[in-house]
Amino acid sequence: MLKCTINGKEIEVSSGATIMEAYHKLQEEIAYYCWHPGLSVAGVCRMCMVEIEGNPKLQIACNTPVAEGMKITNESEKVKESVKWTLDFHLINHPLDCPICDQAGECGLQEFYMTYGKYNPEMGDRKVKKHKVVDLGSQVVLDTERCILCSRCVRFTEEVTKTNELGIFNRGDHSEIGTFENRPLNNKYAVNTVDICPVGALTSKDFRFRQRAWYLKEFETTCNGCSTGCRVNVFHNQNGLFRVKPIYDEAVNGHWMCDEGRDIYKHINLDQRLRHSKAGAQQVPLEKALETAKQALKAAGSSAALLITAQYTQEENQAILDFFSNELKSSNIFYWKNNEETFEDFDGLLIRGDKNPNTQGLMNLLKEKSASGSWKDLKAKVESGQIKTVLVAGPEMLSVYPDLNEKVTVLSKTQTIWLSTCEHEFFDQLSLQLPVSGFAEKNGTYVNYAGLERKIQAGVKFVAEALTLQEIVSAFRGANVSKTNEVAL
Amino acid sequence: MSVVKRPSSVSQWYLPGIFVGLYHTLKALLYNLSHRQKMQTLDYPEEKFEYSPRFKGTHVLTVKKDGAIRCTACMLCATNCPAQCITIIASEHEDPSVEKFPIAYEIDMLRCVFCGFCEEACPVDAVRMGPEWQIPGISGTNFVKGIDFLAFRSQLKGGISSVLDDQERHGQGI
Repeated sequence: MLKCTINGKEIEVSSGATIMEAYHKLQEEIAYYCWHPGLSVAGVCRMCMVEIEGNPKLQIACNTPVAEGMKITNESEKVKESVKWTLDFHLINHPLDCPICDQAGECGLQEFYMTYGKYNPEMGDRKVKKHKVVDLGSQVVLDTERCILCSRCVRFTEEVTKTNELGIFNRGDHSEIGTFENRPLNNKYAVNTVDICPVGALTSKDFRFRQRAWYLKEFETTCNGCSTGCRVNVFHNQNGLFRVKPIYDEAVNGHWMCDEGRDIYKHINLDQRLRHSKAGAQQVPLEKALETAKQALKAAGSSAALLITAQYTQEENQAILDFFSNELKSSNIFYWKNNEETFEDFDGLLIRGDKNPNTQGLMNLLKEKSASGSWKDLKAKVESGQIKTVLVAGPEMLSVYPDLNEKVTVLSKTQTIWLSTCEHEFFDQLSLQLPVSGFAEKNGTYVNYAGLERKIQAGVKFVAEALTLQEIVSAFRGANVSKTNEVAL
Repeated sequence: MSVVKRPSSVSQWYLPGIFVGLYHTLKALLYNLSHRQKMQTLDYPEEKFEYSPRFKGTHVLTVKKDGAIRCTACMLCATNCPAQCITIIASEHEDPSVEKFPIAYEIDMLRCVFCGFCEEACPVDAVRMGPEWQIPGISGTNFVKGIDFLAFRSQLKGGISSVLDDQERHGQGI
């Protein structure tokens, strides 16, 4: 361990640590563009200048290792002056098209200009014009004029995805980021380059121009796209959810997430949701639907069956399984496993073939209840007429359940109560559908593939009638549903 | 502190007051009939009062030289609007030098408080408030005005040109 002093505060860091890491450990402010904790050190932006006592010249914090007894500051006039004019150089060819730039509001250039800049530009020459709106691939758009050549995106494709699509071409002030001929940026982690871009050079096609950054609020939750369970921030406002960005979680996803996971917000928005309970294609009041469901299950008693997917939180699973084993005394619990062939797939970075967020958690609970039924068992029992009433805790993400149609066709012959977040035309064959909350509308826990528990958080509530499984179970037990709904809000 | 004056016994004799009032009305009527040129009132709606060009009346969306709308859909006006009456939907433009433009720009005229903050916030002189001061309508009229009205209504005679031109700025190397 080495001792050093940063801005007058003493701190111990492990040997080999850089001054930048010491700054982050102390949570002291320091300006930087090219440094990123998940990437190698490039030292090209020259923004992280610090003054070291006894050293006549300023040093960059990101590439200078801490030595014993170092006295470091970035609050002196000398450092501030240096950062100010470095920023002026970064902005020489910057087009300043903030009004049409998606990054405005969360842009590194804007931020540091307000902290360190506030100068009058002294550049007399004309700006170098480069390419605008360059289509890099299926996900990302590049604006080479806005780019400050920090090379974060290039290092990302080189070090993290190891696909090497991006490079810096040409020389001097004509340098620009680009892809090679016929090799677009089409890897499955491409949108991470948008996240790490400190300026508006890389923008996401999905999010482009849909909202300004300052209209969005965010909340922290866990991605429900696959069993990896990355920690993510979901951005939303009163019009819906708009984007998903990863949060650092060392044990799960590091700094990154996949592009598939970026789409998980879409099914929470109103246009895809099941907004009312339905009997067949007919809309029915929620209280009436819950009463019908309750009567049907109570009447069936121990012959009632539960078909469960691994898309619900641990708390919800617990509630519904307890209701079946304790109240209905039914042991007809069946597990619906989707895409069995690709279940164990793993791409080596983050994406797993198991497209359910809580498979591990559900398995643990099913083992406790010693329930081992699968879809095949249920199908046989339904077709032989042994089971006449089925409660389906249906998938939240319909897109990862390709066998949906087949299941619905079989179950449409019996009395089926289907709990669903999203609407689907097949579901109108079923005797009853109840709307349930999506992952952004409830609190709970997912257990990921490695058995790590991660919380999800209720940040929005778009469908007033949507309930969690706990609420549905308590309604079955006789609680007033409108009351539970109020509590949820 | 409010002081309530009790009516005096004199003021209870209201008839003299009425005759004084009628005298003034008659005087003004006769004066106006004999000096029609000096009359303060206008024969609305045939005659309309024109405010100065700096008056903050009905909004105008300016246009570029090619006649397309100047607005870049940066949403600064909508952000700055205290009445939250501006709705903009942005979209991608085919021309990379334009990049972003509004496919819908709507102002709810009944919510607008005509404060002029939108005009102040606009970085590209795309929205202005003009000297027109009346937006007539009958029952059922839609007062949420779109681009057709804001930029191309007949009174604007083909649109008002913006003073800020991107082509010129690019030419100057800005």
